[in-house]
Amino acid sequence: MYVYDSFDHAFVRDRNAEFADQVARRLSGELSEDQFKPLRLMNGLYLQLHAYMLRIAVPYGVLSSKQVRKLAHIARTYDRDFGHFTTRQNLQFNWIKLADTPKILEELAEVEMHALQTSGNCIRNTTTDQFAGAARDEHEDPRPWAELIRQWSSNHPEFTFLPRKFKIAITGADRDRAAVRVHDIGLHAKPEGFDLYVGGGLGRTPSLGHRIKTGLKGEQLLSYLEACLRVYNRYGRRDNSYKARIKILVAALGPDEYARQVEEEWESLDKAAIDAPAAEIVRIRSFFPDPDFKDAKFDRVAYERAQTADKAFARWVKNNTLAHKRDDHVSVTISLKPVGLPPGDASSAQMDVMADVAEQYAYSELRVSHEQNVILPHVPKADLYALYTRLDAANLSTANGGKITDMIACPGLDYCSLANARSIPLAQDISQRFADANLTDKIGDLQIKISGCINACGHHHVGHIGILGVDKQGIEFYQILLGGRADENAALGVITGKGLPAEAVPAAIERVVQLYLQLRTSDSERFIDAVERLGRNTFAEALHEPA
Amino acid sequence: MSLLNSSHTPQLVTTDGEIIPDGWTLLADEETTGVDGPYVLGFDRALKELDGLNGHYGIRVNPGDDVRLLLPFIEKITLIEVSFPGYRDGRGYSTARILREEGYTGAIRAVGDVLRDQLFLMLRCGFSEFLVKDKDPVQAIAAAKSRFSVFYQGAADTNRPVWALRHTVES
Amino acid sequence: MKLLTANRLTDGLTLWFSAAGWSEDAAQAARLDDDAAEALLTEWKARETEVVGAYLIPLSAADAPVQREHVREFVRANGPTIGQTADEIARLHGRADIFQEY
Ligand code: SF4
Repeated sequence: MYVYDSFDHAFVRDRNAEFADQVARRLSGELSEDQFKPLRLMNGLYLQLHAYMLRIAVPYGVLSSKQVRKLAHIARTYDRDFGHFTTRQNLQFNWIKLADTPKILEELAEVEMHALQTSGNCIRNTTTDQFAGAARDEHEDPRPWAELIRQWSSNHPEFTFLPRKFKIAITGADRDRAAVRVHDIGLHAKPEGFDLYVGGGLGRTPSLGHRIKTGLKGEQLLSYLEACLRVYNRYGRRDNSYKARIKILVAALGPDEYARQVEEEWESLDKAAIDAPAAEIVRIRSFFPDPDFKDAKFDRVAYERAQTADKAFARWVKNNTLAHKRDDHVSVTISLKPVGLPPGDASSAQMDVMADVAEQYAYSELRVSHEQNVILPHVPKADLYALYTRLDAANLSTANGGKITDMIACPGLDYCSLANARSIPLAQDISQRFADANLTDKIGDLQIKISGCINACGHHHVGHIGILGVDKQGIEFYQILLGGRADENAALGVITGKGLPAEAVPAAIERVVQLYLQLRTSDSERFIDAVERLGRNTFAEALHEPA
Repeated sequence: MSLLNSSHTPQLVTTDGEIIPDGWTLLADEETTGVDGPYVLGFDRALKELDGLNGHYGIRVNPGDDVRLLLPFIEKITLIEVSFPGYRDGRGYSTARILREEGYTGAIRAVGDVLRDQLFLMLRCGFSEFLVKDKDPVQAIAAAKSRFSVFYQGAADTNRPVWALRHTVES
Repeated sequence: MKLLTANRLTDGLTLWFSAAGWSEDAAQAARLDDDAAEALLTEWKARETEVVGAYLIPLSAADAPVQREHVREFVRANGPTIGQTADEIARLHGRADIFQEY
């Protein structure tokens, strides 16, 4: 993974000193809360329902064992012993003291981490494919490009006070695991250059990005992004924060006109002053080699015997591992969705275990997925059973990768000051209803995504089943959406009628799932395929049928 | 509890940390230009009248004004005031960068809600004067200039992006 | 009747205005009549180096916030409703629930 040089270290040090100074001025009263708020947000510090929340950047979701140990240490020392992995491949702590943040940032800097630009109206952490560098269908590793963008966007003098937040996603594989079409800018690396999508997003006005450029050369990526951002910074709406995202500008101008303005701006830019030279791209790429793959002798017979002997292990292998570009390795999903517990939470002890097993079995490399799980991208098959045993002892072996209980849920009203309704207890109730692993295996791939308000941090629009919390005179209600997907065939789910009270949701979902099991043509017809074949209405009726 | 820093009367300070008097008068749109210049004209008025005017003017540019429209008259402009009605409105940064990219070499002054924490960004975008609300504007400029030693992007100032430094060192 | 709540600037913890000043325990919150509540709100909004985000919660009955804010204020008073993360303050005071669950 990328290793800081003295420049990168100096930058984070300077930036942390700046923030420490801002905190001190806030505490002394020199800065008002109104003035301080955007400054603290630019450092990932929110004031939530119960306390400050600190969102730590995990650049493009990549972590080392050493970094995960540091996160565990922070959870233990400064928080209440757990952290929450988010759908933006970041990590949040829920009970942070303002006065402690400079110290925490110093600790993070020791392991080349920070909380910069994890909130605020600036360019946020670039997200990418959690299987980058390991997946079989990848033709371009997106991580070096994400790192290039990270550096270019850090403290960008022109784009720190944009109309609204700005999220970039990038993928380099056939299958789009980074959901590039639901980001402000989505980049899809192809052999002939990047396809660039603009104006996608969820939230109040969900939309899919429009492709405005193909064949963009990597050496010109930054200047083109600069042109895209400049048009947005100048003309994005600032009168109404709900209409300030780039998707609204693109919709108002039309994608063609937006593209024309970008091209015009791009022509006027001094590209040589903006684009990093090829040598810099080569330098960044050099940090993302394959690990030194162990040529451990893989004993297929023993591996198969272990699966026969241990059914739980067999299930875990089937659901939580993905084919690797090398036959003797796999990528492993460590599910943070044990039945009945908050999706995405990990205790400090669990973080330590993940760091340890990554060190021992996975070349010290971990990833955060937008599904709120932790990924070990490269694991020798020979070590799989030993790894599984260690995870199992730490309650980290839930074998539900991609299944109905592998839900995404935002923090919702249990933590979030913007929420209308709780998300986590609902996720817990649903997962309890589908606690039977034989049943979830039979159901197969089905993604439920829950947001506690229209901001859609839980990506409910692109869940096969999406759930949106709304507030009806102080009572929590949930609207159910059907038919969304975030992959290369991205589609937005559609609301299916009246909202349901929390108690009614798990049963409603169960009815839909039972109907799907009756109607599917074979085991290989996934839920989303059946919804697309039969139409949403077929299933919507089951949702709202009286129990 | 100390006093809110932004409650101090704004003072005009230059990139070099010099406090300077403001010799300019902002003309309301209906006011006629007398002999007591120099004057700052509103943006729309400037577009209408600059063609027929002689001499040198300052122009007030608000967020949303397309500063490129001033380019035909740039020879007559020696000051551009870029206003920040609220400090979260970042359009002024693009305005300044475009002016510098287009070769404008006169003064670019930040006015409005200009606070110490923005000065670093403004310096990088090509501003040269700051009407800043701060108890110690000179120190604020000095702090903004020394805060960072590393710059990841090329911008309107003379700081070289880190990629340029990396690859000069190597070659 | 109203309650006054805010977060402490230094650590962000939720506070409730009680007869003895700010308290972390919602059960101590003083029931304020409307005029007194408004006056206190104005006073504390200005005292930004002590607390932030001060606001009033209207009560429909002596111990219940009005419907619109009920769930939110219940969670704010009692901490997250999810097992793993039970709010230490509520536990410290030996109460599962501070407002009654509706
Ligand atoms: S979707 Fe709404 S409730 Fe959930 S975390 Fe985002 S802002 Fe909060």
